[in-house]
Amino acid sequence: MVEKKRFFKDELESSMETTKSFNTSFDNSKSFLFNPTQENIDSINDKDIDNNKNNNYSNNNNTSINIDTDSDEDDDIEIIQESQQSPKDIFTKGILDVVPDVDPKIISELFNTYKNTQDPLTNALSYYFENYQPSDGNSQKITYIPSSPIKLSPPKRKLSTLANFINESPNGSNPKVSSKKLKKPVMKWKRFIGALQVTAMATRPTMKPLTYGSKLKLVKQQLDIPTSKLYDSKGRQKKMMSSYVKIFDIQFNREIGKVPEDIARIIYPLLATDEVIFDTTLVFCDDKRLSIGDHFVLELDCYLTSILFQDESELLSSQSSQNLNHRINNNNNNNNNIPLHQSFKSNTPDKVEDMESKSRRVALLTLFKKLRLRPLQQKEEDLIKSQHIESAEQEDEDIIDLEDDENFDDIMSQSYENPEIDAPNYSTEESMNLNQLQTFYNSAQSNEALKNLPETNPPFELVKMTLRPYQKQGLTWMLRREHEYDKTDECENLEVDGDMMNPLWKQFKWPKNRSWNVNKLKEKSTDDTQTNNELFFYANLHTGDFSMEKPILKTMIKGGILSDEMGLGKTISALSLVLMAPFDSRVDEKKVFKTDTDSALNADSYRLTSKKPYASKTTLIIVPMSLLNQWHSEFNSINNCSKFRSEIYYGGNVSSLKTLLIKTKNPPTVILTTYGIVQNEWSKLFREGSNSDDAVMSSNGLFSLDFYRIIIDEGHTIRNRSTITSKSVMDLSSKCKWILTGTPIINRLDDLFSMVKFLKLEPWCNVSYWKTFVSNPFESKDFKQAFDVVNSIMQPVLLRRTKQMKNSDGEPLVELPPKEIIIKRLKLNKTQKAVYKYFLDIAENSVKIGLARGDLLKKYSTILVHILRLRQICCDVELLGTLDDNDEDIPRNSQMFASNTEIKRLIENTQNTTDEEFDEKEMTAIISSLKQKYPNLDSLKKQECSICTTEDINIDKMLLTECGHTFCENCLSEYIDYQKNKDKDAEIKCPLCRSSITRNKLFAPSFLESKDTVVITHYKDVAKSAKLAALVENLRQLQDSSSGEQVIVFSQFSSFLDILERDLGEAFGKDKAEIYKFDGRLSLKERSTVLKEFQEKDFSKQKILLLSLKAGGVGLNLTCASYAYMMDPWWSPSMEDQAIDRIHRIGQTNNVKVFRFIIEGSIEEKMLRIQERKRTIGEAMDADQEERRKRRIEEIKTLFE
Amino acid sequence: MASLPKRIIKETERLISDPVPGITAEPHDDNLRYFKVTIEGPAGSPYENGVFNLELFLPDDYPMEAPKVRFLTKIYHPNIDRLGRICLDVLKTNWSPALQIRTVLLSIQALLASPNPNDPLANDVAEDWIKNEQGAKNTAREWTQLHATKK
Repeated sequence: MVEKKRFFKDELESSMETTKSFNTSFDNSKSFLFNPTQENIDSINDKDIDNNKNNNYSNNNNTSINIDTDSDEDDDIEIIQESQQSPKDIFTKGILDVVPDVDPKIISELFNTYKNTQDPLTNALSYYFENYQPSDGNSQKITYIPSSPIKLSPPKRKLSTLANFINESPNGSNPKVSSKKLKKPVMKWKRFIGALQVTAMATRPTMKPLTYGSKLKLVKQQLDIPTSKLYDSKGRQKKMMSSYVKIFDIQFNREIGKVPEDIARIIYPLLATDEVIFDTTLVFCDDKRLSIGDHFVLELDCYLTSILFQDESELLSSQSSQNLNHRINNNNNNNNNIPLHQSFKSNTPDKVEDMESKSRRVALLTLFKKLRLRPLQQKEEDLIKSQHIESAEQEDEDIIDLEDDENFDDIMSQSYENPEIDAPNYSTEESMNLNQLQTFYNSAQSNEALKNLPETNPPFELVKMTLRPYQKQGLTWMLRREHEYDKTDECENLEVDGDMMNPLWKQFKWPKNRSWNVNKLKEKSTDDTQTNNELFFYANLHTGDFSMEKPILKTMIKGGILSDEMGLGKTISALSLVLMAPFDSRVDEKKVFKTDTDSALNADSYRLTSKKPYASKTTLIIVPMSLLNQWHSEFNSINNCSKFRSEIYYGGNVSSLKTLLIKTKNPPTVILTTYGIVQNEWSKLFREGSNSDDAVMSSNGLFSLDFYRIIIDEGHTIRNRSTITSKSVMDLSSKCKWILTGTPIINRLDDLFSMVKFLKLEPWCNVSYWKTFVSNPFESKDFKQAFDVVNSIMQPVLLRRTKQMKNSDGEPLVELPPKEIIIKRLKLNKTQKAVYKYFLDIAENSVKIGLARGDLLKKYSTILVHILRLRQICCDVELLGTLDDNDEDIPRNSQMFASNTEIKRLIENTQNTTDEEFDEKEMTAIISSLKQKYPNLDSLKKQECSICTTEDINIDKMLLTECGHTFCENCLSEYIDYQKNKDKDAEIKCPLCRSSITRNKLFAPSFLESKDTVVITHYKDVAKSAKLAALVENLRQLQDSSSGEQVIVFSQFSSFLDILERDLGEAFGKDKAEIYKFDGRLSLKERSTVLKEFQEKDFSKQKILLLSLKAGGVGLNLTCASYAYMMDPWWSPSMEDQAIDRIHRIGQTNNVKVFRFIIEGSIEEKMLRIQERKRTIGEAMDADQEERRKRRIEEIKTLFE
Repeated sequence: MASLPKRIIKETERLISDPVPGITAEPHDDNLRYFKVTIEGPAGSPYENGVFNLELFLPDDYPMEAPKVRFLTKIYHPNIDRLGRICLDVLKTNWSPALQIRTVLLSIQALLASPNPNDPLANDVAEDWIKNEQGAKNTAREWTQLHATKK
């Protein structure tokens, strides 16, 4: 069965293949595509060759290629050849058509026995199958031939007459037809699929009434009409087809009438072939002679014949996709019956072929629809099977599933669609809702085989660290995907791929034979009496292919998507793979060839790759800039083999990659680079140079080479295929391709397409295929189909494990310490509140106006600015007026700061309108009395803060109350804030003496060293923003309880990070905390320095990393920290999860605590609510623009209600 | 609150190293904000010779917020109700962050020595105390013997 699966995939691939030299490609594919089954195939080939059985199909085709290259003349040559064949040759060929590997002795034996019988071939075959086959020791070979046609070829009495009947062409019709038919495969069986009642119109008068039940036939007239006359350039029909399908009376061989247009459209394209037979019987003509224009009724019994299926059997028996490919091309030229996969490709050079295949496909579809022949659902299949076992009689009812009707129509409509390639940017976005995403992920994980994957333990001399069990399994999977079976620890080659049915194919049940012959003549059915064991057949209604075998989906690409959840160690897995299989071992055998999969359907890239030198020892790894150093150091830390090294490629630092990788003796195993550099080089090559080909060839960069392997980290970066990044990555070439991503789908199903395209997963990487089978069904809400297809595409190439998954022992894959997320609700300080109110009024006003005028969305960007302002105020008033590069919401040049001065006034007001007016005299009096109490430095020493019980308060942090008591600055202001929060009007009392104190009657002592005196000044409270105060408070507590912690502070405003850097520095001082800042403004070198320093443990002080999520949100590994503070909420909850996963990942040994600061009653709380809603109902999954608009307005309303 | 403020640790250490006579306070093993407290009845009061169990809890906002204290042992006292809740100004409005566990417990001990029936929590007891102080004190003594005797 293994081989069959492969062949099916071959067939798919071959359809995409451009022509290739037959012999070389055949060899190649033999030697490596079919590596695992090499022995089998070899033995077959050997035998074939030994026995001189070149009549085997593939070889037949081989000869026909040589002959039928282009023109019709060649056809004639072949006909002549065939006509020269002796009866024995014909007999032998006939036998071999059915049983390719039969012993020649047997053939001659059979020939001698049956040559004088009426139908030697059929008799011989039946004799053969009855007597030889079971005893044939080499039954293994027979499995190459689908069993069905064999079983279905009984000794048929009627067959020969039928065949004669078919081959009988009307007198005077084009001789080409008959000559062509000679060449056709022999029809070995036919099987009833349904009957049609057709009202036909007489075109010739008849002398006598036609008798009831008289046999008629359908004849295609004027066969030489060019297809282009029938269809216009868009494939629409131009002419009435009914003019070309005539009804003939068999008895008198004269024209009687024509069929209606709808039937003609079905029949016309199918008449040329013997794939479908229409057995025509007159059932009603009113028992009178017909005049022109009279109506009469026919019954069309429709049969599918072996020829339709034979293609498939040929496919299966043929052993090379190239071979096949040629055959298809060849047959296409002959307007023959081979399905045209090219129909899905636009810009096929030969439009006519396209048209013909399409009309054939559509005809088949329409026929199926007319016959109400519908694909089975999975469950029905089982049901029918069980029913069938119970009683074979019970198949009276055709399976008609009305619900499925739409489905069928879908297929219909799709196939009518013009398969033009779409513009790359979709106007309609279909975001996925969470449930759908869940479905996708679940099915991606459901692969039970995953659990049973054996583990591959990389040898210590290569990989310096021990992998986790699931990583070892992953490694096995990856090696298998690269066909490096010998590197895995397992002894036998197991198949990774399941037996998924190709979703493009549909399963059909053979209907009961109710043809005229059976029903009316009570004739024993000619076809299915002895062949009942085949219950189903399979059809790809999109291409018009038929098969008796279940089409199994196979993937041939090397590589895949490693989509383990964040923190499961994708980097390690990928690097282990690189070290385990650092170079193309097959190249070492001095046999340089390229994979077939590289030769994409994209002619351009094929041309490019074919010429590029092959860097067979190098893996190119593309990562986001922030991860470059991390990858580099990870490589060095796990690599244990001095031979292997990795180099970072900045574009400029290596003068010629080509020289480095091809000509150097020991080229670097890994070249690390960033998306930016790839994009840069690509732009230079393809934008500027008019002759991009030459530019590529003469260049020395990434695009000049064909790598052994490419790994792209955070592969969702390429998800939008209209971006330059995506386009440029697609144009890199390599033999193996890997995508690492924790989130293959960010928000649309189409995100997957880019990956499929990068991997060159055929045929899905063809955008029209993808659209037809995934996007369109999804958009039309046929989620099941879309997911089925996606699932079957992804299942073989995608490996995803989550942290929750259990291994075979039921243990979770990863045991991470618990994570606690604490939402801290804070209140704005006075200044913030006033400014917030001010901006809220402006914003609400503008939303109101927008709603009233109905142009809210036109003002969307203005409103975003309003929202942004409010969010900034929640962080710190100081943020106003900074235009932040890192916040994506900001449209430039907002006119907001016309009101700049007003804000300043507002801020000053809130800071100065203190509770009471402060008398200058009174103040001097208090200060002097305090001076008496604390005349010198010593008197200020050993002072205890009764709030935090700190003794010896630092004089810089000390505050004095009016009543002369000392407190820490922070403690006292926290106390005052706390009291104020509890009760706005409460009188605040000194904690020690309960005398009244006010915020503006506080005094700060300071020591002037130069004069050796203590100065006491009026303390002015510059209120810290609520979040800053809370952060300081939290950090201080943490410092108190455990020093030496490393903490991360996230914000999306890098100017807020600046403020935090300054204020935290002030609050703590160098001895208590070290502050690091990591944002987009850092250079690569600075980044790695910052991270390195931060990660060094220092038990004496706290280390604080201020991290901008945009710069460091992905990939960074910061497990040294176990505390994180999220200063502001993000719009997308998944961004926050990503951020948290920086510390909550493998390697984390401590409990993780995450604090989220949210300002109560502010826009931030509403953002939380919108986040929540996004999580539950899913964001705008309907492509409907109007609905999205509504939802946006809804969201804005939520924010401002 | 996640971590324990330095102040709490300091106070706890001091309570153990330098205990108040007649008062013990030990933090719970699992929750360092939860204390098991015993107070001996002050000499000369109806609660003399009794040992009363209390629980004390430091809320998240401590020391901005007062600790929560409750008698576990039954006690007949006009300012302590049947549930053991205590009516004491420093636990309520007069709390100041300058106060500590130690001072709070001392205040409670003082409250045992001088009940204040004019600001009652247990109304029936307070009534009894005002009408018949001696009888009430006897009842208090009986209760002390019954519930708060060292075993």
